[in-house]
Amino acid sequence: MITLKKGNLRIPKWSRKVFAVAGGLTNYKKFCPEMKLEEQVMVAFRQMLETNDLKLSPVEIKGLVNFLACGEFADHFQDQLLCEAKVTDYLGLDPMYDIGIKTGGATGGSTVLTAAMAIASGYADVALAVGWERMSEVDTRTGNYYIANAACKDFETRLSRIYAAYYAPMAVRFAWAYNLSEETRAKVAVKNHLYAYYSPYSQQPGKYTIQDVLNSPMSTYPLRFLECCAMTDGAACMLLCDEKTAYKLTDKPCELFIAGGSHTLRVADRRDMEIPLLPHETADMYKGLHKKEGQRWPGFESFAAARFAAYFAYRMAGITNPLEELDLVELHDAFTISDIQTYGDIGLRPYGQEPDYIESGDAYFGGKCPSNLSGGLIGTMHAVGATGIFQGIECLWQLQGKYDKFHGDPKIWEFFGKKKPEDWKSLQVPNAKQSLWVSHAGVGSHVTVGILRKAF
Amino acid sequence: MASKGKITKYTGKPAKVLQSEPALVIEWPRNLAHRHTYGKLSPFFEGLTKGKLLATRCANPECGEHELWLPPRADCPDCNQPMTWEELPQPVIGTVHTYAHVEYAGAGIELTTPYFQVDVELPGVCTIFKGYLQYGTPEIGMKVQACFRTEDFTNTILDIYWIPVVNDADARF
Repeated sequence: MITLKKGNLRIPKWSRKVFAVAGGLTNYKKFCPEMKLEEQVMVAFRQMLETNDLKLSPVEIKGLVNFLACGEFADHFQDQLLCEAKVTDYLGLDPMYDIGIKTGGATGGSTVLTAAMAIASGYADVALAVGWERMSEVDTRTGNYYIANAACKDFETRLSRIYAAYYAPMAVRFAWAYNLSEETRAKVAVKNHLYAYYSPYSQQPGKYTIQDVLNSPMSTYPLRFLECCAMTDGAACMLLCDEKTAYKLTDKPCELFIAGGSHTLRVADRRDMEIPLLPHETADMYKGLHKKEGQRWPGFESFAAARFAAYFAYRMAGITNPLEELDLVELHDAFTISDIQTYGDIGLRPYGQEPDYIESGDAYFGGKCPSNLSGGLIGTMHAVGATGIFQGIECLWQLQGKYDKFHGDPKIWEFFGKKKPEDWKSLQVPNAKQSLWVSHAGVGSHVTVGILRKAF
Repeated sequence: MASKGKITKYTGKPAKVLQSEPALVIEWPRNLAHRHTYGKLSPFFEGLTKGKLLATRCANPECGEHELWLPPRADCPDCNQPMTWEELPQPVIGTVHTYAHVEYAGAGIELTTPYFQVDVELPGVCTIFKGYLQYGTPEIGMKVQACFRTEDFTNTILDIYWIPVVNDADARF
């Protein structure tokens, strides 16, 4: 049994405040032969510098940057070591120091965390969090093979060679333990593909029905293709600053809190442990959770890494009741099931009642705390090293009231060779003040929880 | 003019052009073999080829974790002291904790698809061991028995697999 001591549970604390001011994305697609990796990063970098209403010129802002955190999931895909140096050079930020960050699917979140620590510590006043992935460098099955190396190569990789097969057992167990129906899972897919329909950046937009999802081909039972994210080429950039510089650069800065948690790579090795409670929870809530035979926490149902990240992040940000205090969330819906599992970890519902977050309508636009209005990973992208940055940017733009600016402008659609749908609609959450995003790796090996708070 | 002397020659294979529009895309072949050690877990993999399932237990009486580990570890994660090997008694009977039906697998898969992957609870083991079911349809709570590829073994985790046990009397010794 893992037993946590006081020092393990120390709440992370910034030495000074950290702010996010701007973000930039690319068109996300399965195969982008027209641009090399660093050329794609340039697209995101220019959008960040040129279209975020910043009060200094791009060249002036570049003159303020003195640290880069660079996210890239797998050297396997790029087949190029030290991409960080190529990117930093290509963006014209030499000789600023860039640190490569690599925590699987949570790479983007860890990249933002690293840049935030540079600001909080005083190492930098302005830091760039940049991430990318070019997964099209290999065909899809080879990509699956590479990603399956993020399972334990001695004991798990050869048993699947595809990541859906490591989430499928969780979906089976979760359904058995907590009464999750296939329809509820399908609703997550329907919702996120639909929200991607309103995004010019999205890779897999679509107006699907629950039946379409359930009729789509099976990847690994019970997960179907429309419930899974795809391989993506793309990049994302986010600009972080200290308080003084933030207000110098923008009228709409957002304060940032972010923390992480890790847990064993193999689900097999998750021993039962006591649930660390979120500020609004009590131990009594979970007395009946182990009523079924063989139940353990986090087991195959939940993610200790996500729970720890939330445990820290809520306390860093002073959040006492997430569902009441968050206006929107962006979750790591690599698979429908990973999305649903997280509702309990971050306290949108108590453990065991996760499906209700969808069924109640809370998760939808217009609901109490909508999730993945960006289209998420299922609908919009999973260019792995960029994903956790993309999610943070979508949260930032919501708080800045810029959803329409960055999703509704026909010029952005045209720039990506797309046509804005006639029935496009705004998913701007009115008067959003606080948002959260989850960046997640492996079968829950690394998770960051980031919180942005409107500071204007 | 300087003498040419020894000329450096191109000895590679020209890259195959996969497409030229909207940009030049070439094929970049990769065919490599890694040398991978099983390290201190070598007895486990050697054990499978002999029909034995070996787990580890922390030998430190001060440590709080006394159950078996499977996958095994050479060192205890709680107290960081060395663990000792223990063979599970035969027949090895476990309970399906959860499962998945793999229909679409990535490159390099060595099992015929579709197949069932099973996560198995074993008595006295603190972890849940992943494997595959050779035949039958699993359900949560179902009893399964470990089988071993003692001939034509693969020297990988695929040397252990599971089969359904209809009732305990059916267990094969």
